[in-house]
Amino acid sequence: MSGAMAERVFARKMEKAGFTGVWIGNKVPYGIEQAALYPLFTPEIIELMRRLIAPDRQASVAISVIAKAWNR
Amino acid sequence: MSQDLLFQQAIKEAVRSAYEQISAGGGEPVARQLYSEDELAEVTSGAIAWALGVGNPVRHAGLRPGETVLDLGCGGGIDTILAAKRVGPDGRAIGLDLMEEMAQRAADNAAEAGVGGWTEFRRGEIEDLPLPDESVDVVISNGVINLSSRKSRVLAEVFRVLKPGGEMCVADLTVEEDLPPEILTSDSAWAG
Repeated sequence: MSGAMAERVFARKMEKAGFTGVWIGNKVPYGIEQAALYPLFTPEIIELMRRLIAPDRQASVAISVIAKAWNR
Repeated sequence: MSQDLLFQQAIKEAVRSAYEQISAGGGEPVARQLYSEDELAEVTSGAIAWALGVGNPVRHAGLRPGETVLDLGCGGGIDTILAAKRVGPDGRAIGLDLMEEMAQRAADNAAEAGVGGWTEFRRGEIEDLPLPDESVDVVISNGVINLSSRKSRVLAEVFRVLKPGGEMCVADLTVEEDLPPEILTSDSAWAG
């Protein structure tokens, strides 16, 4: 999660790579409770997130998206 | 430059280490959220156990029979297997993973799912794809591009291996507000 880009940065990088028709959609909030399902997140980092991230952001710390683009 | 390279290597090692520490997978609760019952019935329990993605790229990719599809960071192979079922035996599905043991695990799962004849799994890095130019119709990945410290390089490599008109369809995470520094510098938060 720490390496996730802002949507506009992701889109711009795809375009700079040469892709056309860049589309980012199917957006789903990805919160701490979602992250807790993943064994990749240790209990310690989940607890740290609960402590350091503002309550109103905890349900949407990141956004899960589908990104599509074409080589043409 | 050298510090930057060390940073890149540190991230790669953090990701590898995080995966090595979860020998049993533990991805079934994630799989139940991201895939339908019909989709889960197409794959093996071993692939479900390693479903650690953030979306369902195969559902959104325009895969057609006979196509060649590449899955970046295939993990236990759940998306590679689903893609292989969509492209069929006249197509080809290639799974690539940073870890040799994960690629082997995915190969075992693909064979058990009945798609072993037209799938292959390789160890490799997404920043240096071991494939020729213009050799793939569709590239998918699931929660993997955010793990790389060289995202522009990854995207350039995807563009290189795609045939003209080829499609990239990836599930990934985006963020609109910075995370606290204590989280940004955590190995666990980089790998997850």
